[in-house]
Amino acid sequence: MDRLVPELRLPAVLDTAAAPALVQELAALRGGAVCLEAADVTRLGGLCLQALLSARSTWASDGHAFSIKNLSPAMQETLALCGAEVLGT
Amino acid sequence: MAGIRVVFFEECDEHLGELENGLIAIQEGDRDPETINIIFRAVHSIKGGASIFGLEALVGFAHTFENLLTKVRSGEKALDEAVIKTCLKAADVLADLVREANGGAAVEDGKADPLVSTLTALSSGSSAGAEEAEEEDPELAALQFQPVSVSFAELDVAAPKTLAIRFKPGLAMYAKANDAILILQELSRYGEVKAAVNTDALPLLDGLDPREGYLTWHISLLTTQHPSLVREVFEFVENDCELEISEAETIAPIAAPPPPVIEAPPTAPPVSFAPAPAPAPVGPVEAAPVPNQPQTQGSIRVDLDRVDRMIDLVSELVINQSILVQRLAGERFNGQAEVSAALEDLDKLTREIQDSVMAIRAQPVKAVFQRMSRLVREVEAVTRKPVRLVTEGDATEVDRTVIERLSDPLTHMIRNAIDHGIEPPEKRAAAGKPAMGTVKIAAAHRGGRIIIEVSDDGAGINRERVREKAVERGVIGAEDRLTDEETDNLIFAAGFSTADQVSDISGRGVGMDVVRSGVQALGGRITVTSVQGQGSTFTLSLPLTLAVMDGMLVQVGDQGMVVPLTALVESFQVAPGDVTRLGVETTFLHLRGANVPLLDLGAMLGYPRGEDEDGRHVALLVEDDSGQRAALLVNDILGQQQVVIKSLEANYREVPGVAAATILGDGRVALILDVNAILSRRRRVCAEPKAA
Repeated sequence: MDRLVPELRLPAVLDTAAAPALVQELAALRGGAVCLEAADVTRLGGLCLQALLSARSTWASDGHAFSIKNLSPAMQETLALCGAEVLGT
Repeated sequence: MAGIRVVFFEECDEHLGELENGLIAIQEGDRDPETINIIFRAVHSIKGGASIFGLEALVGFAHTFENLLTKVRSGEKALDEAVIKTCLKAADVLADLVREANGGAAVEDGKADPLVSTLTALSSGSSAGAEEAEEEDPELAALQFQPVSVSFAELDVAAPKTLAIRFKPGLAMYAKANDAILILQELSRYGEVKAAVNTDALPLLDGLDPREGYLTWHISLLTTQHPSLVREVFEFVENDCELEISEAETIAPIAAPPPPVIEAPPTAPPVSFAPAPAPAPVGPVEAAPVPNQPQTQGSIRVDLDRVDRMIDLVSELVINQSILVQRLAGERFNGQAEVSAALEDLDKLTREIQDSVMAIRAQPVKAVFQRMSRLVREVEAVTRKPVRLVTEGDATEVDRTVIERLSDPLTHMIRNAIDHGIEPPEKRAAAGKPAMGTVKIAAAHRGGRIIIEVSDDGAGINRERVREKAVERGVIGAEDRLTDEETDNLIFAAGFSTADQVSDISGRGVGMDVVRSGVQALGGRITVTSVQGQGSTFTLSLPLTLAVMDGMLVQVGDQGMVVPLTALVESFQVAPGDVTRLGVETTFLHLRGANVPLLDLGAMLGYPRGEDEDGRHVALLVEDDSGQRAALLVNDILGQQQVVIKSLEANYREVPGVAAATILGDGRVALILDVNAILSRRRRVCAEPKAA
């Protein structure tokens, strides 16, 4: 079952410049469960954070599973700092 | 992004200026906590901006510098001489790093690293660290200053308190390359951050504009810092986000983190989102107004090209206005009261517009004066002569075109003042002077010009030596008798600077004649006065702008020419009996007991002789920058007027004897005379007027 879940590997830098592409890529994955691989993330900015939060609620509203796995230490730290640890759960 | 970067570097210049000023004030004994805050804010702002652009070397150094300043500000580190000296050096290196980041020269290897160690050691607070730091820096070690205790009671380093912050970044904030996460990270340096994110306004993906900010953060910050200082974290973004900072009186650490905003669904969707609660109101705190809210900024940044373009257009307007006045004066409207009144109003209005536009480009000389304090430190270190720089009239404004070109002459004069003027400490002590020398730069407006004085309390000009050198170099003859003033001014003579004067500091192969040329190129004059044993004063007189000038319009041949009013002493009629001819080409005019050379301007500039040449008997007495006088024979004096200067080099080519051009009211081009150049050629072309 897990093998069928599409996976998106997040890039290392998720800053302001990366936000439009991230939103586009996430939107393209709608319609089924998705798992994001976050091992490479070294920098997470505010706009990409909100894109991920929006994706999470979009998937919830669509009734599909949304998860992020292998969070890099940098990403974990950022999520903890800005009160968005929920993304890592 | 490139535009924002330009603004960042412009702001860096301002911050570096504030830093320099603050440190100098502290060096002079200022212990106002606000001064220390200003210094801290300057370094902090540079760091904040640099981090946005990923300028890591700059961020790293500023961070280390900031750490020491944080300790100073909180009173943990005494503000002793070693700390002040280190901070001054750090300010210099910070300025170098900013310059390097802006594409300037790379900072020399090994310049920043020892200073980072010193800064770190000093901020560590351990005496061992400080000792190490001093060992690393022989200059600091040599200081042997006694630490001075400073009371920081008023600095408000009270017990920890909780600040409630509501922060909602918007599109504009992100568009300017600022990021909410970086702000939160910065905030965490001030204390313990507990943040909760509110996603109420966050749309689903299909309605999400990836550039817009939708999230709101509610942050509890446990900190010892005053809210106004915490607010500085938001300095760059305050106008581009929603921000509220309120102070709670809670002394205890935050008991519990705010409730989670998003209830994470551990299992299956749908996910339920709970709105984030507003920060708990604690005590009698009112949400607004926020204390120490900065006032609305009263300035805007405008591209310099736009200002220059406007100045050009206003110059054209001034010219057109005079054309209009002249044409109407010759027409049927002449003498009509209504027309005259309207023209007068137009004239007044045009001048007001011109003054206002010029005022936009006017800047205080402070920007240049600030650079000099670093120069003094550097020269002081090399010469081992302790020197204090005093500035006066920093707020005096002058056109930025003049400001830009002030730096070189000032640099040279200050180098000279310290290297040649100020005596070594032992000589000063022997002369009963304080060991520390003083160099003073003062600026003031006087008679429509800016006067800048560079003075020192050194030994004064050694007139015997100057005279010897001048004779040796052929500047004067061995038998020439000179007044003290004339002797002092010999140092500006071309060729006076000699090889044995060249040193690492002030020599560099150029002399004061180069300074004088630079000042003259600005339409200025330089003079020196000196009292032996008490010091010298160099006085620069410069125009407030290079765009307009007051001149005397004269007729030379069939051409109109403008003689700068600054060079004009008087105008008078020439009586035939006052003229004496010596040799073939030299003519003198006897004027109130003195003989001055009489120059035929038309002949010197190559104008054809007109029919009425023999009837000429009007002359102008002019004086060049070295005080040399001559009378210029002209056909007629047409009147005094303000003219707009148009570069001849830029529009045509350089013409000897002509400084620039202007356009007259009748639309004709008139040349502006270069009095210095004309007088330097005075021996070559002379003429004799004939009686009418």
